[in-house]
Amino acid sequence: MIVDTKDADPVTMVVPPAPKARASLLWLVNPRLAVGLTILGVMGLGSVVLPLFAPADPSVQASYMRNLPMSQAHWLGTNALGQDIFWFLVFAIRNSLTLGVVVAIGVTIIATIVGLSAGYIGGRFERAVMLVVDTFITIPLLPILIILGALIRGNTSFLTVGFIIIVFGWAWDARTVRSMALSLREREFINMARFSGANTLQILVREVFPYVMAYTLVGFINTILFAINLEATLAVIGLSKVEVPTLGSIIFWALNYNALFTGHHVWLVAPIVATVTLFLGLFLTSTGFNQAFASKRGVA
Amino acid sequence: MIRLCDLKISYRIGSRVINAVDGVTLTIPDGSIVGIAGESGCGKSTLMKAIYGDIQAPMHLSGGTIEYGLKGADGRPVTPATIRREWFKSISYVPQSSMNSLNPVIRIRDQFIDFPGTDSNKKRVLERARDYIGRLGLPPEALDSYPHQLSGGMRQRVMIGLATFFQPELIIADEPTTALDVVVQKEILMLLMDLQEQMGNTILVVSHDMGVHYQVTHKMLIMYAGRVVEFGDTESVFADPQHAYTRMLIDSLPTIGDDSMRGAVASAAGAGGDRAYRVEAELIEVKPGHFVARPAARDGAPA
Repeated sequence: MIVDTKDADPVTMVVPPAPKARASLLWLVNPRLAVGLTILGVMGLGSVVLPLFAPADPSVQASYMRNLPMSQAHWLGTNALGQDIFWFLVFAIRNSLTLGVVVAIGVTIIATIVGLSAGYIGGRFERAVMLVVDTFITIPLLPILIILGALIRGNTSFLTVGFIIIVFGWAWDARTVRSMALSLREREFINMARFSGANTLQILVREVFPYVMAYTLVGFINTILFAINLEATLAVIGLSKVEVPTLGSIIFWALNYNALFTGHHVWLVAPIVATVTLFLGLFLTSTGFNQAFASKRGVA
Repeated sequence: MIRLCDLKISYRIGSRVINAVDGVTLTIPDGSIVGIAGESGCGKSTLMKAIYGDIQAPMHLSGGTIEYGLKGADGRPVTPATIRREWFKSISYVPQSSMNSLNPVIRIRDQFIDFPGTDSNKKRVLERARDYIGRLGLPPEALDSYPHQLSGGMRQRVMIGLATFFQPELIIADEPTTALDVVVQKEILMLLMDLQEQMGNTILVVSHDMGVHYQVTHKMLIMYAGRVVEFGDTESVFADPQHAYTRMLIDSLPTIGDDSMRGAVASAAGAGGDRAYRVEAELIEVKPGHFVARPAARDGAPA
């Protein structure tokens, strides 16, 4: 399988890498990952594309008659506020996903940088950083969020909620990444990298990061779950910006108007089904990636 | 040519100071394989680290000088302060535990490419690397593998490949064949010898195995308690060991059918943990190119 590269035509030599890269990507896909990515793809794409065709802003109240049953015009009927449930749900998934991804990006970047540097550099720097991290971990999250939510309720943007979740969510991941870096620091291959003349930054980026990358990706997905979950919790108890459609705010309004007792089940069931499906998609993707990374290295 | 002059390396922890290398004066000629032997804790690895230029707290260069006789990229002679820039270019290191010295989640080829200071054209580097590991007796596919897919001997070959890729003038091999079986051990050592012959560089081999030293090295350096006991041509050292400690090391090589050595070794070495020998820092030349530590008054061991 050796291609004699010396005699090969320079043009043909450029070609081989492309199919190789495609093949190696296909190699990644396992059934679990495929199902997870499909669910995420459908929900993600649907919630991004569909709003462009929305007949009206679903968050505006009294656009339609109230409490209409399911029909051609309103696939899931309308709610007690005169909003179309289907369109409200589409916007809710989009907003929740956006929030989840934004929070996950923020958390992952902060956690990886803080964790890697604290674990690898060590010494006084590590002690100072870990003091901050441990402080954030020990802060009881929900009571703080309830107080904060009560304070800033109404005069905050939806993304501020995301920002607050980032502030209180990065510390755990940072601790995990740091513990990985801590054990890596003592490995012989890191020493070897240093002996070959690499500086700290190069070692972190080239040697340590590939090691924690698989975890980082899975952690990223888990953080999306965490963020959506937390925002929904806050919304259900009315502390997020409930005018903005999210998976939690639908449930908030449905509960507020006693959907459960007035027999308006679709209003309550639809967001729950959507949330569960979304979580299932994220979960399958996360474990699917885990499996794929393992099989890529030939250990599973 | 590496010239060590009254080199003293110490470890400092709090107020405790341990002189791991205690006044070593030595000239290592170019283009030879030098074997370093001595018991654990005699300062071999510390000396190697110091020559490599990896002096980090708690390790301190507390006295003496190291001259490399090399010129850096800027044309000035390399000193311990600037040796870092030459790492893996004109001085490189083959580590003890080859099993763990390759990043397990990165393919071998990427570890070649990742070298700081390599050509920016990855394809050209890869081609050269593929060509090069072929010469080391590795199949070209080895380059596309993860380290855990290779055997211990193959991994050590990869390490040697990485260390010699830029044809360094000095290679430090710290027990390069530990944990390998004797057949692979021999292959690896032959590989090192072949490479040395082709490149004409200097290799420092640390090993506990006197048989390895006898087969591979041109010169022998025997260390004890941070000092040089004996230094000379391997032939001469083995044929006519001058110091009692050297004699004991050589005698520790078992001979088939001769079990008279059993039990004798431990008593000669002073198994009680005391230093069995007193070694002076000063060397005297007993024969051309064969040095031995000046006998201490109490010791009187050398013939």
